[in-house]
Amino acid sequence: MVTSAPSLMETRPSASVRHPTVAAPATGAAVAPAGATLVDIDQLDFFYGALQALHGVTLGIENRKVTAFIGPSGCGKSTLLRCLNRMNDLIDGARVAKGMIKIRGIDIHRPDVDVIELRKRVGMVFQKSNPFPKSIHENITYGLKLQGQTNKARLDEVVETSLRGAALWDEVKDRLHTSGLGLSGGQQQRLCIARALAVEPEVILMDEPCSALDPVATAKIEELIQELRTRFTIVIVTHNMQQAARVSDKTAFFYLGKLIEYADTRTIFMNPAHAQTEAYVSGRFG
Amino acid sequence: MASSRPTEGTHFIAHKGTFRLFGLTLGDCIKFFFGGNAVVSVVVLALITIFLFREGAGFFGENRENLEVYRQAGLEYVDYIRTQQDDHTALTRYLSDLRVRQVNYLTQQKKLSLAAANAALAGFDTFADQYGDAVEPIRTLVSDLTEQATAIKEKFTVTEDRKTQRAQLLAAGQTEAAAKIETVPIDFVAELKPILGTLPAYREAAAEFSRRLNAVIATAPAMPEPALQARLERFKELNAEYLAGFPSVLRNLESWDFRAPVPASRAFTSFLFGHEWRTASFWQDWYGVIPLLVGSIMVSVVALVLAVPLGVGAAVYVNQIASPFEQRLIKPSIEFISAIPSVVLGFFGIAVLGQLLRALSQVPGLAWVPGFPYAERLNILTAGCLLAFIAVPTIFTLAEDALNNVPRAFTEASFALGATRLQTVVKIIVPASLSGIISAVLLGLGRVIGETMVVLLCAGNRIAIPDFTAGLAVITQPVHTMTGIIAQEMGEVVQGSIHYRALFMVGLVLFFLSLGINYVAQGIVRRYRISIG
Repeated sequence: MVTSAPSLMETRPSASVRHPTVAAPATGAAVAPAGATLVDIDQLDFFYGALQALHGVTLGIENRKVTAFIGPSGCGKSTLLRCLNRMNDLIDGARVAKGMIKIRGIDIHRPDVDVIELRKRVGMVFQKSNPFPKSIHENITYGLKLQGQTNKARLDEVVETSLRGAALWDEVKDRLHTSGLGLSGGQQQRLCIARALAVEPEVILMDEPCSALDPVATAKIEELIQELRTRFTIVIVTHNMQQAARVSDKTAFFYLGKLIEYADTRTIFMNPAHAQTEAYVSGRFG
Repeated sequence: MASSRPTEGTHFIAHKGTFRLFGLTLGDCIKFFFGGNAVVSVVVLALITIFLFREGAGFFGENRENLEVYRQAGLEYVDYIRTQQDDHTALTRYLSDLRVRQVNYLTQQKKLSLAAANAALAGFDTFADQYGDAVEPIRTLVSDLTEQATAIKEKFTVTEDRKTQRAQLLAAGQTEAAAKIETVPIDFVAELKPILGTLPAYREAAAEFSRRLNAVIATAPAMPEPALQARLERFKELNAEYLAGFPSVLRNLESWDFRAPVPASRAFTSFLFGHEWRTASFWQDWYGVIPLLVGSIMVSVVALVLAVPLGVGAAVYVNQIASPFEQRLIKPSIEFISAIPSVVLGFFGIAVLGQLLRALSQVPGLAWVPGFPYAERLNILTAGCLLAFIAVPTIFTLAEDALNNVPRAFTEASFALGATRLQTVVKIIVPASLSGIISAVLLGLGRVIGETMVVLLCAGNRIAIPDFTAGLAVITQPVHTMTGIIAQEMGEVVQGSIHYRALFMVGLVLFFLSLGINYVAQGIVRRYRISIG
């Protein structure tokens, strides 16, 4: 557990909210080496109203690794993912009843944590690609403009690096000012990834990013994840077990809101400790 | 098994139900029932449209006749001179305005008492009186001519009435009675002779008038202040322009010919671009839609300016910010507004709002507001405020729908990038639903422009184009509207008369205006659906 990291997510006087305090991933990575635990989930109970979605989940997500959450529908893997950037706050009646989630040692549900700052540090890519009905350029600069960045040269630079980072630059560089909705499904999803990269998060959450894509587009995204793993901590929820096996370093198997098994991906698929895990990964149920 | 088959050789699948009504199966009956309902509404709409057009179309023929009589009876001729007289009256009004300004200046800047100020203006008063009296030769001429022209028109009307009466009798088969009615064709040449004979008298009068004006204008006293002096100079310019127009009036009179035909387009343009709506006048009826159209538009604009921020703001609040409890409270309250009968609102406008706004306008601290203070309780502002109240539920409901249609994915993506609720609303949700909001506003406009009771009760009902030179203060002037005039006058007109048909034409203008607004709104909604994908 790295505790010396500056408490970046705490609320600060609003004047200083803008830039200097947000460490770039590089800085973060310098503090926490690859493989150290970045996100620490401890005994988490989560409810939607009266319905308990997560039962005492304990899990450590490692820095600059790809962690896959697998399990049948309704097992709570997406819920857990959305807990990590507190997107569940938007749902009426959703609440963490017990346990905590620490990122760099700081409980993200502490009252002095600025959820806006948290979401800048923990980016998200959704199941269905959701570019804004704006131009490609505006889609990518949206997050930075929210932070008050107005320097045009800087914005253009970020657009290029983000699009290159998402392996989309060559395909769209000539039409940056056309609508993001005019791209194909796979391109739209990569645009969403580029948009998430633009704000330089530490963690990228991916909620079944390929479930609406064809195999070719899926392969491109998977390739992209392989490239991104060197710079970002990635958590991916997937229904596709081959995908989990291909892209992830560690895999967590959930069933009915409980974490059944969490280990290296190789172990989960080749030599699982639990019978349920084996039944699921070998396709006997789920 | 064989017994269940109806006839030999027919497969059971091919055998349909045998119940038939007038040769129709049950399925056909149901189909025709629903189809019939749809057809009825289309037919009714078509009938209404045809009726509107049929009743309205007759207007042009009658209006042309109306304009022809205006020419043949010499009214047009007299109006040339009358216009000259009216222009002079406008100039004298300029002088009285100047006098008011001088009094204000003397009492406020120079701290003179009112009596002292009046005394100081004695010279100016003499000047203004002389200027006003200079028109006397023309005025005498106009009043003589007016009588003569009216008499000719009267004769013509009587003859026309008799003709109609005889035609009715003939149609009823009473030939004898019809033969008893004498109709003497009017000899316009003879009738108009006395009028046209006044041309030399006019020349003399005009020359005398212009001589007097020139003499008076030379005696204009100096103003006490440069700004006022500038106004006086402006007056002198206006006067010079006015005098320069005399020869063209004379030319009009000389070249005037009662036999010149009235072009057919005049019947149309005098309606669509006519600046006067004057009915049952002793002199000449005019049916110009412009004052009513301007009135309707002004009232609607004021209503929208007030209703758009309220309606859209409330929609954004309820849709994005409000707690469920607030939603349950606000939504039904706003929607309830549309349940209030507009006559009740109009009544409220007269009894409460009009009084209140006028009292407010007379608060000394608010004198900086354009148009304040004002004396007319019923005006564009009062009607606009109430219409805004009527438009808010329409705009609110439709704008809220539009906001609701913004995919949740957009909102989530925005939050996930670290946007606050406000940033998400302003940068994503409102732009994404903008077309929906615009069409909500347009439909609100449609609702407002067709509203009748409120404007009839609260707009002041003065048939005149408001004075736009007053700037924003124009909204404190009374107007009449298209809907208001139809409601007010339709009950009193003779069916089939030109006035009756003119009201139908106003209805048609309204119809097309609403049609246009709805068309544009629907077009925007269609495009909006595509843009969301």
